[in-house]
Amino acid sequence: MSAASYQKAWDQLPETLRVARAGAWKQFVAKGFPSKREEDWRYTDLSALNDARFAEATETSIVATTLQNWQSLVFANGQRQNGEVRAFETPLADDGITALNAALTRDGLDLRVARKQKAEPLHLLCLNSAAAMTHLRHRVVLEAGSEATLLIDTRGDDSATLATGVLEVEIGANARLRLLRIQDGGQASTDLFRSQIRVGRDARLEYVGLDLGGALVRHDLNVQLCEPGAYAEVHGVFAPGGSTHVDTHTRILHQAPHTTSREVFRGLVADRAHAVFNGRIVVEKAAQKTDSEQKLASLLLSPGAEINAKPELEIYADDVKCAHGATCGQLDEMALYYLRSRGLDSDTARNLLLFAFAHEVLAKVGAEDARREMERRLANRLPGSTAYEDLI
Amino acid sequence: MLTIENLHARVGDKEILKGLSLTVKPGEVHAIMGPNGAGKSTLGHLLAGREGYECTQGSVSFEGRDLLALETEERAAAGIFLGFQYPVEIPGVSNMYFLKAAMNAQRKRRGEPEIEATDFLAFVRMQIKKVGIEPAMLQRGVNEGFSGGEKKRNEILQMLVLQPKLMVLDETDSGLDIDALKMVSDGINAMRSPERSVILVTHYQRLLDYVKPDIVHVLARGRIVKSGGPELALELEERGYGWLEAA
Repeated sequence: MSAASYQKAWDQLPETLRVARAGAWKQFVAKGFPSKREEDWRYTDLSALNDARFAEATETSIVATTLQNWQSLVFANGQRQNGEVRAFETPLADDGITALNAALTRDGLDLRVARKQKAEPLHLLCLNSAAAMTHLRHRVVLEAGSEATLLIDTRGDDSATLATGVLEVEIGANARLRLLRIQDGGQASTDLFRSQIRVGRDARLEYVGLDLGGALVRHDLNVQLCEPGAYAEVHGVFAPGGSTHVDTHTRILHQAPHTTSREVFRGLVADRAHAVFNGRIVVEKAAQKTDSEQKLASLLLSPGAEINAKPELEIYADDVKCAHGATCGQLDEMALYYLRSRGLDSDTARNLLLFAFAHEVLAKVGAEDARREMERRLANRLPGSTAYEDLI
Repeated sequence: MLTIENLHARVGDKEILKGLSLTVKPGEVHAIMGPNGAGKSTLGHLLAGREGYECTQGSVSFEGRDLLALETEERAAAGIFLGFQYPVEIPGVSNMYFLKAAMNAQRKRRGEPEIEATDFLAFVRMQIKKVGIEPAMLQRGVNEGFSGGEKKRNEILQMLVLQPKLMVLDETDSGLDIDALKMVSDGINAMRSPERSVILVTHYQRLLDYVKPDIVHVLARGRIVKSGGPELALELEERGYGWLEAA
């Protein structure tokens, strides 16, 4: 498996990198992209990527600004727009996608927050355009007692781009990371992202994601609660429309006693879009007193919309509290009628209900600037967005 | 103001209203009482324009317009207000936003300018005192986590804010304690004027001690079987509906 675009990118790497990464490249060539025969990829078909061709990275035509009062780092088609290219190692390569990323990546965020320090909030903006291929690899380390807020924001044009991304995070003892994601790469984009997050003793992860869809969007969000007292909130909204595809796989691993996870996902699936949600929670034998909750609710907004939702619980400890629930339905007709009986027209009422449904998750974003940005981006996706301008 | 003539209506395959006639003049308060399943709530939803409630015969005219030809939201803008028996919870939409959106949607449809945000806030703050709703509740989702009594008071608040011409209050008194009943009644009385009319749908005579009706009707088997003055309500409380249903 080494279609022209990937091979060419590999050949263009400096000799030293090719030597250092020969293993990863070999792994990608051997494995290729995951196939639908694998259970984890049953509903997301990557076979079109084998022969896809992508353009050389060029400058981007997308105009976008970063959040005011936030630090920013911008990558345009994988090219850093500010600061020094980072030198790094790329240890994580456990499937074809992460192997490809490990072989070809040239840059990415490297954030280290020293003990007891509070980092300025950071807006990481990745602009993908002109059918380019990018492979960023980010690393975030929070030392003990530190705090950081990071928004990873991907935007694209209408071209068929490919972005692979890997984010490795270590949250040290008693540290706290607020991690936000906006996936808005455009209708034709392919975005394969892996988050691998380790949460240490008494540390906190607060994740909220907003996935707006693309030709193929997949996020593998793996959280390890590896020491006692570790806590994770893992929340998200997915709102694909048109004929886009969004696949979210979360895996929360309770490995130590007294670990807690809270997970709330909401989906709005419109038109002929396809959403996949797989929420796996594993409670290992050592993880007594685990407290875990997972809730998924989604709305199918048209007859052609489709969702495959699956909660998976694996519990090996005997003194735990685990709750989960998944619902899927249509808009509440009674609520629609109630709003109309007070004077709102049916389109406005409908859009208001959709926005409110998703907003219950976005409301969990503590950083106000980022929350407003996420609300705006969601509102832009729903028709008649002016109706709820005051709401946000 | 409202003229209903020989109204037949069905919900799904079931015919519920079977020849109901009712005339409400400006300034009047009508009470509609009757046994369960008589069609009281159906009448309310039919006037408000709920989908699936279908008129098969007869007519409803509101201020000279064919009410049944209007969309639900057009009826609201024209001045119809239904106080729901079971108000709907809408998480994620705050009461304050809802009130403002509803008011401005109605004004826009009537060709009136939108209300200034600060004027509106002051106006709403004045109204909530009348129904005993805490200001903090305005920031909560519509009816979200409200008790039964709070939901009913919230209906009255919406009515006070939207200032409709015809108020149809479907069992707004059910499940209220005496203090809440007084607040709800005060709210209704505050709205009474020579231009506005009220239809109170109720099971209990108790509400009518506080809101004095001009006319009391008994709705049974899909139509009005008896009408009279306020004394009819007392008689119904004494004797029940059996003597009327048998008639």
